[in-house]
Amino acid sequence: MTPFLSRVLRTGRLAALGAMTVLPALGADVSVTAELPRPEVNSGEMAELQIRVSGAQQADVPQQIAVDGLQVRLTGQSTQVQMVNFKVTSSAVYSYIIMPLRTGAFTIPGVTVTADGRQFRTAPLQFTVADARPSSVPPPAAQPPAPGYPGLQQPVRRQRPAPPRPTDLSRVAFGEINCPRRTLYAGEVVPVEIRYYFDAQYQVQVRGKLDFGAEGVVIERFGEPKESREERDGTIYNVLTFRTVLSAIKPGPIDIPEAKLESQVQIPGAVPPGFDDPVFRQLLGGNTPFSEPKDLTVKSAPLHLDILPLPKEGRPDSFTGAIGQFDIDAIVQNPKPAAGDPVNLSVKIGGKGNFKGMGAPVLTQDEGWRSYPPTDRFEGTDDSYSGVKSFEYTLIALERKSASPGAEFSYFDPVAAKYVTLSSKPLPLTAMPGATNQPVGAPEDAVKTPPAGGKSPVAASAVVKEGDPYPAITLRSWQSPVRRSEFVIASLAMLIAAVALASVLGYRHIQMHGGTARARRRRRIADLASVIRDGKGDEAAVLEAALEYAELALPDSEKRQSLVESLRSRHDEVKYGLGGSRPMDDTERRRLAAALAELSGKSSL
Amino acid sequence: MKRPLLLLALLLPMVATVPVRADFSAGLQGANDALTSGRPIEAVTRYRALTSDPALRGSGAPELWYDLGLAEEKTGDLPAASLSYRRALLLDPTFVPARKMLADVLVSLGLSAPSGRMESLTAAIHPDFLIVAGSIVGWIALLALILLAFLAPRRKYLIALCVLIMIAGHGASALGALVDPRRTAADKAVVTAKKPPVLRVTPADHGESRGTLAPGTAVSVLSRNGAWWYVSGGPGLTGWIPADTVTTLLPGSPSGGS
Repeated sequence: MTPFLSRVLRTGRLAALGAMTVLPALGADVSVTAELPRPEVNSGEMAELQIRVSGAQQADVPQQIAVDGLQVRLTGQSTQVQMVNFKVTSSAVYSYIIMPLRTGAFTIPGVTVTADGRQFRTAPLQFTVADARPSSVPPPAAQPPAPGYPGLQQPVRRQRPAPPRPTDLSRVAFGEINCPRRTLYAGEVVPVEIRYYFDAQYQVQVRGKLDFGAEGVVIERFGEPKESREERDGTIYNVLTFRTVLSAIKPGPIDIPEAKLESQVQIPGAVPPGFDDPVFRQLLGGNTPFSEPKDLTVKSAPLHLDILPLPKEGRPDSFTGAIGQFDIDAIVQNPKPAAGDPVNLSVKIGGKGNFKGMGAPVLTQDEGWRSYPPTDRFEGTDDSYSGVKSFEYTLIALERKSASPGAEFSYFDPVAAKYVTLSSKPLPLTAMPGATNQPVGAPEDAVKTPPAGGKSPVAASAVVKEGDPYPAITLRSWQSPVRRSEFVIASLAMLIAAVALASVLGYRHIQMHGGTARARRRRRIADLASVIRDGKGDEAAVLEAALEYAELALPDSEKRQSLVESLRSRHDEVKYGLGGSRPMDDTERRRLAAALAELSGKSSL
Repeated sequence: MKRPLLLLALLLPMVATVPVRADFSAGLQGANDALTSGRPIEAVTRYRALTSDPALRGSGAPELWYDLGLAEEKTGDLPAASLSYRRALLLDPTFVPARKMLADVLVSLGLSAPSGRMESLTAAIHPDFLIVAGSIVGWIALLALILLAFLAPRRKYLIALCVLIMIAGHGASALGALVDPRRTAADKAVVTAKKPPVLRVTPADHGESRGTLAPGTAVSVLSRNGAWWYVSGGPGLTGWIPADTVTTLLPGSPSGGS
């Protein structure tokens, strides 16, 4: 980031911080008002509705306002921050375009606005659409495109001399405005570029936001300005370029005042003797410390626009307010849905124009389909002027279909000054109706055949036109399944079944592996006692059995320890000295058995 | 194999419905006729009588509330219509026409339509389906896991798969219970007064005002104090309002308004 842009952004952040610290104090003075600059228009003209929210940091307004016979859509927002005598006031103006669909008197209802967490409601407004008078304004001739912006040249770095005290501040900073078309149609969107030139010799701080606008004009919010450098007449300028789009609402001439940008320029002052040394300036980075700040409002030239009404002649029925140059494309997302499943048809409108004000394309050849109002999504390139708007239709086949509906979209081409209708052809697909998607007119069939999914016996066809009552009902519980006894009982039953299954399998597993460790130990002790008692095997084997018996069956004691030691000694003596293959003497075996029985607390082994 | 069948047999009554009497169907037909022939006030009376019919004890019909909403909309009672559409969506969140009509009514009232991840999820998949189907899958996976653990303990991949399916099934069931709007419906209400009621700091007519609630706004009832309810309509919109200006979302709950 260059130092100049850093300075600009830092100034903007400081301004925002200042606003954040001051504006909350104004929270108690939030006001919301609605205004109609033109309460009466002729047929074919559009009007603007402004909702002004003052004193709030955040506001939530509806995207559209429902009025029978009018189409009222939110198109943009502008914010104004003013400081007079250290008192800061802020207001956001939300602009709606009103497109009359018929003539007559209308009441625009109060709009509920949530500002800083509180709800406000505006007063209803009266709006009249009169019959159009014959237009005497000729259609506009095609305008040549505006000359291209001068190329940005990288200036040659040179040794910075001491900046002279300027005699004409208009040469230190000035603005330009570029609009490719000066004759527009009402509702047409055109890009606008505002460029501010600052002489690179002087330090400049930009203060506040760009002030640009006029009544009857909707201007999109400005994005971050782009910075560049440009040389003009031998002077190097830092250039700030703001881009936005503009649209006019009412026909007639419109004069937009100069676009103003508040800034502060450091003007070099008189240098005391002894301080005008180049070495001293070099130490200060080429800047002179003896300068004074000068507030400067940088202005562009005013902009004059001639706004023409949209012609009534040749207006197609499918025209919904789109103005610009567009193309159409359609795609079926799922050409082979399962029976009864919806088909997703995506109609994409691409090009340049007023995407925010355009309505959805009209479906054609849609007999045998049930459709719902589409959802839309806009993907702009770098602004809201050019891009692609996708309308997603959900369609349900009421009969076997092999092609999707077509789509028709009409717009007004301001360059050719005529309406253009685009259409997309039906796309091949395979769709079949589901069990509940029987066509209207066959309720008897539906009553005879209860639909799946728990429909009641009186449940008839679910195919009902929008706004018509349903002739049949489906019963559903007011309680969630998890709070119903059936679900709780079923879950408990499954839990018990799982525990029982695990128990049975676990028991079986234990049995297959010889029972529990305790049972195995008990059996082993019995086997050892049998060996000792009956004298099975040779003497060494009996002594080994006695040793193991003592380890397993006798409680730990000194007697047990001495018996074990004597047995181990005798075992080693028999096994390695006397020859362990001889049977044990009966007397000795009985004495051994008696000793073991005594230690184990039993009368015999 | 018998256990899943037993489970299905136990769960089937949850989705099965009680047959509706013939006189109920005749009453519905009469109300529909009144609505389509331009007598919305009569239609509202008839629909309201049907909504409290003993045949619907403990349950409701989303189509019936939708029809009532249409009739109320035609009489110009938009707040009541918004309540009826909300009740239809409470019973069946995937009921697209009710969602659309509710959005239209709310826009007419200057409000924004409810939106969010939970609304999107319930609009796409019915919470009942998530709960019941997820539960069935989860329990079957648990039984399979027990069988595999004891009978084929060396099949570690199958065991791991069963564990995953069990977690996914019961997770889906828990998610369905979480997003089910009926879970919190007992504490929800809708402003049905035609004039915006004033939110007050104290439950008294002369209490300090905190703003107003637009008709049709859905509020959370935090406390009840006789004829005054302490409600929240969103951040910064909490206060006392007269109980007769709101109606609970669940028809059977103790209600303030009609």
